[in-house]
Amino acid sequence: MAKYVVTGNNVSIGGTDVSGSVARAELTITSTEVDVTDFASGGFTEVVGGLKSGSLSLDFHNDFGSGALNTVLTEDLVGTLVEIVVIAGNGSSASADTPSYTANFLINSLSPVSGAVGDLSTFSVTFPMSGTVTKAVS
Amino acid sequence: MTIAAIREGIATNLRTVSGLRVFEEIPDQVAPPAAIVSLNSIQYHQAFAGGLNIYSFTVRVIVGRAAERQAQRYLDLYSEPTGDSSCKSAIESNRTLSGACQDLIVESMPNIGSITVNESDYLAAEFAVTVYA
Repeated sequence: MAKYVVTGNNVSIGGTDVSGSVARAELTITSTEVDVTDFASGGFTEVVGGLKSGSLSLDFHNDFGSGALNTVLTEDLVGTLVEIVVIAGNGSSASADTPSYTANFLINSLSPVSGAVGDLSTFSVTFPMSGTVTKAVS
Repeated sequence: MTIAAIREGIATNLRTVSGLRVFEEIPDQVAPPAAIVSLNSIQYHQAFAGGLNIYSFTVRVIVGRAAERQAQRYLDLYSEPTGDSSCKSAIESNRTLSGACQDLIVESMPNIGSITVNESDYLAAEFAVTVYA
């Protein structure tokens, strides 16, 4: 696998592929910093990793067509945890070059109505991750 | 969703304007009033999985300028935002082009002026059409 230009990462929500209505995906996994600086730190701060967390940022195109995005990601899901799978590397299935990341995310906001006159109707979200993320390469 | 189908769909919509001859390709001879549908540019990869491409079309509406005042009156009518002779209204009359695209919008009429076709001068109005497919 070489460096790659993003043209088609795969995004599935609750088992439904919604990639055709997604323009950007960014999965971030972070750790808190726990300060363990003491008198022996030589004048520098020292940190160790604390609790991990994650989030998934997505840019969507609203689409109310049959089976389209807004029939999958509905208002009823706000406040609930939903499994989302993202396959990197422009892949459509998990492999060493196109790993998949699976986790539950809290659907904390949606904007089914969005856009100014003349604009494509889009909206962006950042869903916080709940629990662990699983990486698969096959 | 093909470029040919989009072009044909825009032409079909324009043919609802009475008396306007519509060409999907640049014709050898122009008999005004006429509309010519041209593809300008394409923005690929606007969504994952080929979910969206954005096409920029220009529709040039040409009228004879033998009688200059009459020609300008015709262009006024074709440039109206609404009405039976409105090209904007006609193009947007079927915004999915019967399935050839997801949506379209006539963004603007950015230019009006002289155009030379086959060594003949005409007046023309250009309509910028953005197609999402």
